[in-house]
Amino acid sequence: MIFGTKKGAYSPSEPKSQNTACLTCHDKDQNRTHWESGAHQSADVACTSCHVTHTAHDKVRDKITQKDVCFTCHKDQKSQVNKFSHHPIPEGKITCTDCHNPHGSAGPKLLVKNTVTETCYTCHAEKRGPFLWEHQPVTEDCTNCHTPHGSNVTPLLKSRPPFMCDECHDGPHNSKNPVAGNAAGIQGGLTGTPANPSTSYTGRACLDCHSMVHGSNHPAGALLQR
Amino acid sequence: MKIRNDEMKVSITALAIRFALMTSITLPLSNLAIADAATDALTKPTSTIDFGTLYSTNPSARFGQYNGLNSEGAYGIGAFDIRGGNGYNQDSNSGLRWKLGGSNLGTTSRSLDGSISNQGKWKINLGYDELQHNITDSFQTPFLGDPGQNNFTLPSNFGSINTATGQPGTRSLSNAKKNAFHNENESVNRKTGSFNTTYTFSDQWSAEVDYKHLDQSGAKLIGSGSQAGIGLVGGLTAKGEGVNILFNPTSYQTDNINTTLNWKGDKGHLSGGYFGSIFHDDYNSLNWQNPMATNAERSCSGVNCYSNNSMSTAPSNSLHQANLTGGYDFTSTTKLAGGFSYGYNQQNSSYAPTLTPQFSGVANNMMQANGLPTNSLNGVVETKHGDIKLTNQSIKDLNLTVGYKINERDNNTNSNIYKYQNIAGEPYQGVNTPYSNRKMQYEASAAYRLTKAQNISLGYEHENINRWCNGVIGGAQCVSSPTTNEDKMNLNYRLKALDDVSFNAGYTYANRKATNDPSFRANAGSYDPTLGAVSHSALNAGNFLGYIAYPYANRNQNVGKAGVNWQVTQKLDLGVNGRYTYDTYDATLGVQNGQSAGVNVDTTYNFTENSNVSAYWNWQNGQRNLRSGNNGSQISAPTNIWTNQLEDNSQTVGFMGRHGGLFNNKLEFVADLSYALDTTTYSTQVPYDSACGTTAKLTCGNLSPIRNELWMLKLVSNYKVLKDGKISLTYLYQQLNSNDYYYNGQQYGYTPNALMPTNLQQQSYAVNVVALSYSYGF
Repeated sequence: MIFGTKKGAYSPSEPKSQNTACLTCHDKDQNRTHWESGAHQSADVACTSCHVTHTAHDKVRDKITQKDVCFTCHKDQKSQVNKFSHHPIPEGKITCTDCHNPHGSAGPKLLVKNTVTETCYTCHAEKRGPFLWEHQPVTEDCTNCHTPHGSNVTPLLKSRPPFMCDECHDGPHNSKNPVAGNAAGIQGGLTGTPANPSTSYTGRACLDCHSMVHGSNHPAGALLQR
Repeated sequence: MKIRNDEMKVSITALAIRFALMTSITLPLSNLAIADAATDALTKPTSTIDFGTLYSTNPSARFGQYNGLNSEGAYGIGAFDIRGGNGYNQDSNSGLRWKLGGSNLGTTSRSLDGSISNQGKWKINLGYDELQHNITDSFQTPFLGDPGQNNFTLPSNFGSINTATGQPGTRSLSNAKKNAFHNENESVNRKTGSFNTTYTFSDQWSAEVDYKHLDQSGAKLIGSGSQAGIGLVGGLTAKGEGVNILFNPTSYQTDNINTTLNWKGDKGHLSGGYFGSIFHDDYNSLNWQNPMATNAERSCSGVNCYSNNSMSTAPSNSLHQANLTGGYDFTSTTKLAGGFSYGYNQQNSSYAPTLTPQFSGVANNMMQANGLPTNSLNGVVETKHGDIKLTNQSIKDLNLTVGYKINERDNNTNSNIYKYQNIAGEPYQGVNTPYSNRKMQYEASAAYRLTKAQNISLGYEHENINRWCNGVIGGAQCVSSPTTNEDKMNLNYRLKALDDVSFNAGYTYANRKATNDPSFRANAGSYDPTLGAVSHSALNAGNFLGYIAYPYANRNQNVGKAGVNWQVTQKLDLGVNGRYTYDTYDATLGVQNGQSAGVNVDTTYNFTENSNVSAYWNWQNGQRNLRSGNNGSQISAPTNIWTNQLEDNSQTVGFMGRHGGLFNNKLEFVADLSYALDTTTYSTQVPYDSACGTTAKLTCGNLSPIRNELWMLKLVSNYKVLKDGKISLTYLYQQLNSNDYYYNGQQYGYTPNALMPTNLQQQSYAVNVVALSYSYGF
């Protein structure tokens, strides 16, 4: 058996054979229950693709260096985690395995919990509720609005309000109106007598008033304003 | 003195024999010693202690967002990693090992951990981690009250602001008002304590307990709409949608505990456990004074100048979850795996106050008479999960998988009618609609090894989502899309063309069909069962006819990806990978389509054992097209159609190099240079309005891009001193050029007339950091 992933003096054994050797001891384990036909197993990832045995320091098991191992293959994420808005992954305060189980899971995208929301609530329990006034897409999937690996729009948003809100709302209040340079207000060239940018479009835009987008627990907050 | 030189004389022959004998004995010994040293190097870890200092040249919350280096000045460097225990001694039968670690000790990102274990028997970990998330240091506010508190007042002499139509409102603050503004840092502190232990009772039984306590403090900025129509001193009337940006306290504690009992046998294993998560918020409300009025400004003083307002904060809640997972091997090629969990999530935090003291001691009641049906929600959500997967590899080179998953969020919270005053001061009736959903997934896949070098796999997945609300008062339907069905097929191919070249390609097609009922009435809070369709009820969630929110629209998705990895020589690697996704939505109005693409090229050259260089380039692009209208209604489609495009572009280039082995293996240089440019652009077309591009409107055209450009250069030199020491000199230069239109409407003189300025500034920075440290290894 030749362990490893790169050709050296000898070619490494097939991943399946390598993994069989490792799984002799590490098979029947709750963390590897879903290894079979999981994303990594299906892609012929060998244990040695990530782990180094017979060493005092296995990079993938170290909080600081784990990301470097994952980014060997996940290169889009390597770029995304350095975007303007990001989780503290480059700084080593959050690891990939805080959210993902690379050995397989019952959740989507190898998440450690059964659903996206459950995974996010592990750290963001203040969003769990249930709230008196719920925002439907929030209860279903945080990634309807957020992109967890990094974004150019803080906080980890897929788009900026009001444009993001416009993707689901066209009618109520000002969501029906087109927005362009007026979102940049007076400094963006808006004039008038006197020029008056709209709170619906500038800055936080819709979230200036509808700030409780994750849900409101106020008896007078049905429109997610309180 | 007689010297017995004769005894010292040794013949050449004797010497040769002695040398031969010695070598025959010592060579094997020295081989053993080398082997021992190699084993030691692999199994006996080196402990290290690092200490030193660094200097950062500029203060920046953004640069120090997570690394703790948000202030200018000197910081201490401290880290250690100390390991020991008889388990490392090959001559000992003990499996006892311990470890103490600490990092970033001189900053607010410090962490400490310790563990002790007896291999194969038990293990105990203790940890402590701090993270100060610095968000901005340029926020300015006239409000009194520290971040982290929940009550914000204005200086008694601040006075009111006239926000009537035609007035500059907050754009023309008097000097007296401006003088009240002061800087406050926005940051959130997270302190986490953790405890983890595992114990192996026997070959079959083991248990694990994992506990974390997270303590959060600080605050995050939040917008607030104020209550309108309240009479204030001097005949003023409070302004609704008078927006103040406030500190929302994050005074939270979260306790997570996960306990598991594991069993494993020859053919199967089972883990049963409990996961508990208790969240506590010290506050249930955020309170503030609003100075904005709909009529003439007054230089009044005292609390009666302002309307008092209140909003809710995150409610305390709990989750208790039972989990069971396991697997069973029918044969070595046929395996079953699955799990089940049941969770009970409860929230019964008392509501935020709805009575706020106003003018002349008269309280403003946000609720109408008898409008508050209960003082807390007593919200209950049951979550259920089940999954099962059968894999079979009994046919040579063929792997078969079938699986099923179900996830349900069953919201059993009571529905009630809440009669209140909205922020415009109008009576409003809302019915809370507790959302439930159930997602079921069926999957089947086959992977076949065509030849030793080729693999192909085919997969099919069906996803069904149902959405509903339990027991909504009045029987209101609560969702526009009760059902979604999606079929997904994927095909993947892998080829190891040569020993050194591997190629992979994949294609996925998905088709989503959603039921949509435009006649459904009301999203949360706008349904009035007593008034029916003529009230604030909102057909189609208030959206115009033909509009469908993109998560609930029919969708076709095509995803392609391909990659080549080439190990050119034992020293040189090259990889090229790409992906492309294209989504189209079947909706008259709403998101029409979206696409994303990414390309990555990277290469590494190891020119010696201690030296290498690598480079990478990553490009990503995302686009979204939206079609919307502004003159329709819930029962007639709009004819004034406008469109909007979002485009995200990202480019990253990086070079890294390491050159070691200099000066008898004492000196090593590491260099890391990277450049990233991210832009987000919005473009809008409004064909029905020829004046849309005039400066009085600016509702069409391009919005100045959100642009973030990041340069980073890191140079490290490590020099070994003495036997076990190392001096490291590090230089880091990081520059962010950030340009975001977001800040325009926040500045003094440029805000909307009813938005209190924050004077938040662009977060560009240029910071130099020099660090000198000594690392001692033992």
